[in-house]
Amino acid sequence: MGMTDLALAPAILPLVGAALALAGKTARPASARTLERLGAFVGLALPWLPLVLLAPSILQGGAVEGFVGGWAPSVGVAFRFDGMAWLVNLLGFAVAGPAWVHARGSGPRGSAFTALYLVQASALAATSMAADLFNLFVCLEVLGMASYVLVTESGKPGAYLASFSYLMVSAAAMVFFLLGVYGLYRLTGALEYGAVARGLSALPDSGGHAALASVAAIAAAIALRTAVMPLYGWLPEAHALAPHAVSAVLSGVLIKTPLFALTRILVLLPGGGETGAILGAAGAIAAPIGVVIALSQTDAKRLLAYHSISQIGYVVAAWGAGVALIAADPDGAGASAGAVLVAAAYLHALAHALFKGLLFLSVGTVTDVAAERDVYRLRGAGRALRRAGERLPVTTLAFAVGALSIMAIPPFNGYASKAALSAALKGRWQYWTLLAASVGTVASFIKLSLVFRRPKPAASTETFSEEAPPAVADTATEAPESGAEKVPISAKLATATLAAACLAGGLAAPRLYRVVATALGAAPGATDAWSAALYAPAELLKTAGLAAGGLALFALARTAPGKALASAIRNRPRGFHGLFLALCLGMAALTAWLIR
Amino acid sequence: MPTRLAALASVLAAAFALWPLFALDVAWPGTVRDYLEAKGTVESGAMNLVSAIYLGYRAYDTLGETVVLLVAVTGAIGMMAAGSALAPREAGGAPVEPARSPRREARSRQRTELIAALSGKLGAVILIFGLYVMLYGHVSPGGGFQGGVVVASGIVFLALGSHGAAPSPLVGARNLARIESAGFAILLVAACLGVASGKGFLAPPLPGGDPVSFIIVLNAVIGIKVGAGIGLLCVAMLTEEAA
Repeated sequence: MGMTDLALAPAILPLVGAALALAGKTARPASARTLERLGAFVGLALPWLPLVLLAPSILQGGAVEGFVGGWAPSVGVAFRFDGMAWLVNLLGFAVAGPAWVHARGSGPRGSAFTALYLVQASALAATSMAADLFNLFVCLEVLGMASYVLVTESGKPGAYLASFSYLMVSAAAMVFFLLGVYGLYRLTGALEYGAVARGLSALPDSGGHAALASVAAIAAAIALRTAVMPLYGWLPEAHALAPHAVSAVLSGVLIKTPLFALTRILVLLPGGGETGAILGAAGAIAAPIGVVIALSQTDAKRLLAYHSISQIGYVVAAWGAGVALIAADPDGAGASAGAVLVAAAYLHALAHALFKGLLFLSVGTVTDVAAERDVYRLRGAGRALRRAGERLPVTTLAFAVGALSIMAIPPFNGYASKAALSAALKGRWQYWTLLAASVGTVASFIKLSLVFRRPKPAASTETFSEEAPPAVADTATEAPESGAEKVPISAKLATATLAAACLAGGLAAPRLYRVVATALGAAPGATDAWSAALYAPAELLKTAGLAAGGLALFALARTAPGKALASAIRNRPRGFHGLFLALCLGMAALTAWLIR
Repeated sequence: MPTRLAALASVLAAAFALWPLFALDVAWPGTVRDYLEAKGTVESGAMNLVSAIYLGYRAYDTLGETVVLLVAVTGAIGMMAAGSALAPREAGGAPVEPARSPRREARSRQRTELIAALSGKLGAVILIFGLYVMLYGHVSPGGGFQGGVVVASGIVFLALGSHGAAPSPLVGARNLARIESAGFAILLVAACLGVASGKGFLAPPLPGGDPVSFIIVLNAVIGIKVGAGIGLLCVAMLTEEAA
């Protein structure tokens, strides 16, 4: 087995696991369960082996490149397993494994679910190492198809509609993606990224308007899959109504993989740097807006879903600024500075994958046990968990770790990754919008944490329920039927694992940041100054200030005008055609900006 | 009206953005065409260059598309099963016996003896034609996907023809699901053979052998998998019996 096969293994092993699980579909129940577990082991645990084996060479800045099947460069399918692919795989398998374990208890279960889940994991790995435009299209299709089906596995009535709208808008975006691929292929006759870039530079005016329009179409399609503002409308419903384990993977991993896969295209092709800068600006604006919408939600999982839009804004802001620097100066100092920005974006993407996965799983357990998803009606969650047989408050502690991480409280990973973002973006306007979003995040999670408060006497409970939306608007998010469920051991195991990872990610942050920056091509020692200042008094003071600001904002949101505003934001008109219009207008604006 | 306005604005914006792609006056690049003309048949052994591309040079993409189809079929069947589990409850009151449902009766009225007799006999012929399309994909237009859907239509004919008489085992949803999952497993084994022989994933595994044999094997496996998958979906819709 050569290096090429070793690099492809993280994509192939989950497929083998899916075949095993699928074989169980028609087997006897006992052997079906065995096959399902074996499939999950092959697909979610074994991929760690090639990742560990490849780590020494890849993390030093090396890469495994090749053509699948060993065909000639002009006709074969290229792939590239570099530092970024390794890191995205780490992020994916770190969340996918625990989330699957959580699903053993919280559902869904069964051969078909596990097979689809493994197909999704395989597509994530394959997307991370795609280096061929058409292959990237195929990977995104597999990824999307598996996700549409997995969203419906929760069986909630609204889930079908959410999945359908996700499918339609995502399919529309992929049509634009394919047209972009056509444009570049029509110009250069190549699909491999490097060959496309070489072909374009040989053309007069680097392919001119057609090349820019193609890049814009590809970038717009991926921006929609990443849920960059304003192309986010499909996400909240799909992520809120999916099964908890699927929500964790969708929010934690799925929206970031296409973004990092896009990096390789943008740093090579004309207009890529400017596209990165624009997407980054959109992300920096999305972060505070997403938080405001999240703060106005009443459904616990929908609140988390809107936070994903806000958090992906953080990631895209730094990523876009980094891509712009790398594209402007691919071989010089700009590339190193850009790599530090992309490394900060990745660090936050990894931290978000872990803490948002943890939050979806622990909040999922809480809402299942309490049979209530409305954050204003749900009180005494700790007591409900104890009633469900949780003597050691694993779920409560896990939620606390997740909430403190996203609020950027030391020593958890969210603090370190947001500090990395702040340091990398210092002096830009994006720094301030992200700071504003951080205040909102604190307020929003103070609100969500109130579900653990003791239930109040009847009189004041009524004031809470006043601000609940009318029952009609909330039918899609009805709580599960039985309230007396036990907290499954698998759920505790999954949340405890992710909570430990959040803590470890915070404690080991300086080392992690250095490794990530080196793997992405930054100059050695580029992150040392940051590491030294991580726990400096000024940083801690800033954190305290943010927390105080969040508390004040929370208090402000509890006032009558605050409640009215929240209700107006919550019930704002939304629809599929608005989303489609946003996609077309966004793409047109991007093209116009690049051509100007 | 706002919907129409949004639709109009979307079309205009998309047309503006994509216009440069359709107003090109650059000559078509010929690199890949020339390469395929010179070496395509020799390297892959397939007379039909379409096969050479989708099962040779770009077999990795084809594996992905096969997975897309697999996921679509699995998802559709899962949704149909969930839907039929919900439907009787939605009607309210006593659960409706599936065999008695009005849809089922209307459907059985549309089935006549003539259709049953004719489609039952034709089914076998179509299956053989499907196998031909599948196995000769490397020399003539056709291949695994095309042959597979012909096989699936043969299965639909058999299902229509089995009205009243003893049905063919090919019509059983369970059997089709078995064939589909076995087809997928064999496809992966075939893809991984190259890893074992040191030639690499999805490469023709046999050293020195004619590479076209690998294309024939892939065509056959994909054809069987696609035929069973699409056939399963059709049978499930015909009989409202989910696997």
